[in-house]
Amino acid sequence: MLLSRVADNLYWGARYLERAEDTARVVRNFTELILDLPRGVGSSWEPLLAVAGSRAEYDEGHARAHESDIVRFLVADLSNGGSVVSSVAAARENLRTTREVFPRDAWQAVNDLYLFTSRDTESGVDRRSRARYLGRVITDCQRLDGVLGGMMRRDQAYELWRLGQMVERADMTTRVLGVRAASLLSTPAGADDYDEVQWMGVLRSVTAMQMYQRSHRGPIDGSSVVSFLLFDETFPRSVAGCVQGMRSALARLPRPDATMASVDSLEALLATLPAQATDGAALDTAMDRVQAALVDLNDRVYDTFVRGVV
Amino acid sequence: MAELRTSADLWDELLDKDGAPRRAAAELVQQLQSLGLAELQQRQDLAELDIVGMGITFTVYSDGRGIDRAWPFDVIPRVIAADEWRGIERGLVQRLRAINMFIDDVYHEQRVIHDGVFPAELLEHSVNFRRECVGANPKFGVWAHISGSDLVRDGDGTMYVLEDNLRVPSGVSYVLENRAISKRAFADLFSKQSILPVDAYTDELNRMLSSLAPEGIAEPTIAVLTPGIYNSAYFEHSFLAQRIGAALVEGIDLVVGDDECVYMRTIDGLERVHVIYRRVDDLFIDPEVFRADSTLGVPGLMRAWRAGNVAIANAPGAGVADDKVVYAWMPDLIRYYLQEEPLLPNVPTYRCVYDDERAYVVEHIAELVVKPANESGGYGLLIGNRATRSELDDAIASIEADPRNWVAQPILALSTVPTLCDGALEPRHVDLRPFILSGATSYVSAGGLTRVALRRGSLVVNSSQGGGSKDTWIVEA
Repeated sequence: MLLSRVADNLYWGARYLERAEDTARVVRNFTELILDLPRGVGSSWEPLLAVAGSRAEYDEGHARAHESDIVRFLVADLSNGGSVVSSVAAARENLRTTREVFPRDAWQAVNDLYLFTSRDTESGVDRRSRARYLGRVITDCQRLDGVLGGMMRRDQAYELWRLGQMVERADMTTRVLGVRAASLLSTPAGADDYDEVQWMGVLRSVTAMQMYQRSHRGPIDGSSVVSFLLFDETFPRSVAGCVQGMRSALARLPRPDATMASVDSLEALLATLPAQATDGAALDTAMDRVQAALVDLNDRVYDTFVRGVV
Repeated sequence: MAELRTSADLWDELLDKDGAPRRAAAELVQQLQSLGLAELQQRQDLAELDIVGMGITFTVYSDGRGIDRAWPFDVIPRVIAADEWRGIERGLVQRLRAINMFIDDVYHEQRVIHDGVFPAELLEHSVNFRRECVGANPKFGVWAHISGSDLVRDGDGTMYVLEDNLRVPSGVSYVLENRAISKRAFADLFSKQSILPVDAYTDELNRMLSSLAPEGIAEPTIAVLTPGIYNSAYFEHSFLAQRIGAALVEGIDLVVGDDECVYMRTIDGLERVHVIYRRVDDLFIDPEVFRADSTLGVPGLMRAWRAGNVAIANAPGAGVADDKVVYAWMPDLIRYYLQEEPLLPNVPTYRCVYDDERAYVVEHIAELVVKPANESGGYGLLIGNRATRSELDDAIASIEADPRNWVAQPILALSTVPTLCDGALEPRHVDLRPFILSGATSYVSAGGLTRVALRRGSLVVNSSQGGGSKDTWIVEA
């Protein structure tokens, strides 16, 4: 038994928390990447805004695009609803209303994370402490995953949580592909000596570097990175891996047909993409379409589980 | 060595007049003394960290939004000897039996009025009497299923019942949480002596609520009805739902069907609810019957209840006995319904509705505590010897304007417990709220919530007004 109102809170709680974790990963790894690149080579921080999908919101309140402003906006700014601190606070608010369905330790993990992130937000911006701050965000999110994975019945609450997590994660992976990978593919081969470092950055921003290396022989090459992040079902942060996660969650929820149809069309979109991506612009367009499909899926979830009209 | 002080004219729960430990507190006092202040302060700090980390909060509603505050807790427990406690338990069970018989009576034949024990005009003017409940028949004739009676101990050691909370009493979740924290702070003492566990409460609550289910329902679905996240006791609503495996619902989650049964909106569609533990005040539970502007309730809930399709705890209308005027009649009501003498004394109470008693109150107001009959949370309370002349005059004017709404009692010298205040152990005033469950049988929580007034000399223990809390140990000694 799961109340519709609680279902809504769980689904969004999962999305907020996954967003916090993914944003932390992207910012942390972008910071590391930029430190590796010599001055002048791709040292702009603006791609971070594009990956986070908050370019327009940022431009409204900021005249310049300096590192500290951008990082503060993405990590520490409470007025930005998508920042790490805002996402964690929103996840905690949502979980406050769902405490009776989650193991108590889950609430404690989120509460700890909230207390940590809101205590000293500037340490998430300062370069010297940034990696540690963001690392703690990621570890605490993993702690929650561990609590739910190891202590919770696979009931409807669990599956809705997983569904929200998978939708948000797919969203982030497609944005990393649509922004970072697409622009790298568009750069003529050899024009940039730091190509490999940049591709490593793409992998690392979804923590896929090591798993990619294990599944792939030879040096890093762009089109296989794209395929890995799109199609490797065995990797839980790939788009295909997320789609599988959505399917298995939906299969255990009531009246899944409308939402499942939305997942089908998302998967059909993926199937139209070439196995070896070479065209950056095409990849960017395709990722936009995948994200539109995710928005549609989100609407189906709302209609089915919250409004009960499906 | 930590020095433990008492005040000469007050009863201390841990120490006698000579500063020697009371029988049941001997182990604790010895440990407090040997630990020293620095170590105690460290345990207090750790306890506060645990409270923040575990997210134990209460909500203060101000400026239109709810603010979550860490639950205030003092690490030094209050101790009661088990043999004394058993007597208190019997007194509380007796009291609740009489209260429930009274409520059932006033909604049926009103024998208590016909027999001249309780004045008819008081019932006619009671703001908590619900005409809509007349003739209703909740199971076992029980209306107040969950109650919290506030106990205070006077200077001579007598334990009095100060008031009975029969509407939506809160605090029991903190009894359980305080214990979890204090087991960490004094782990060794828990293994050295027998301290009654408090954890069984939620299981007893579950059993009692299940027993209220409509006939023929073996495994009832229970829901806890909360006003929502901005309510000061939301933490508790969520805690209790968690502990008894109930759904935590708001009014918008429930709907009454054409069959006059109550359903909740789930992702599988509508699911029947058999028992509602409501933490919403009577007047808000059904806009069809009570306040039409209420968004916290469920239209049709009263119809479903009267049809016997859903149990509501506490029953609508139970608050008729939660009234400082009815309180004043409690000793008479116990004698009338049970033919027994009250086991727990009432605080002598002057009823302003009577001319002679009102005249006494007006004349002696500086020596009395004046209370509105229908407020909770310590609001509107005036302590005569702490008030200015103009405050006293205002109170007299309020009493004269609406005598039925006021009662007065002598100022009790509330007992104290040593409490950590600014790095020293200071005696601070306490009360005690045990929780009583009434269904087919009765159950009393092992101890209850000890609330402590943290400011020197203050008698106000409510957490909404700066009070704190302590764990309560019932010790076999």
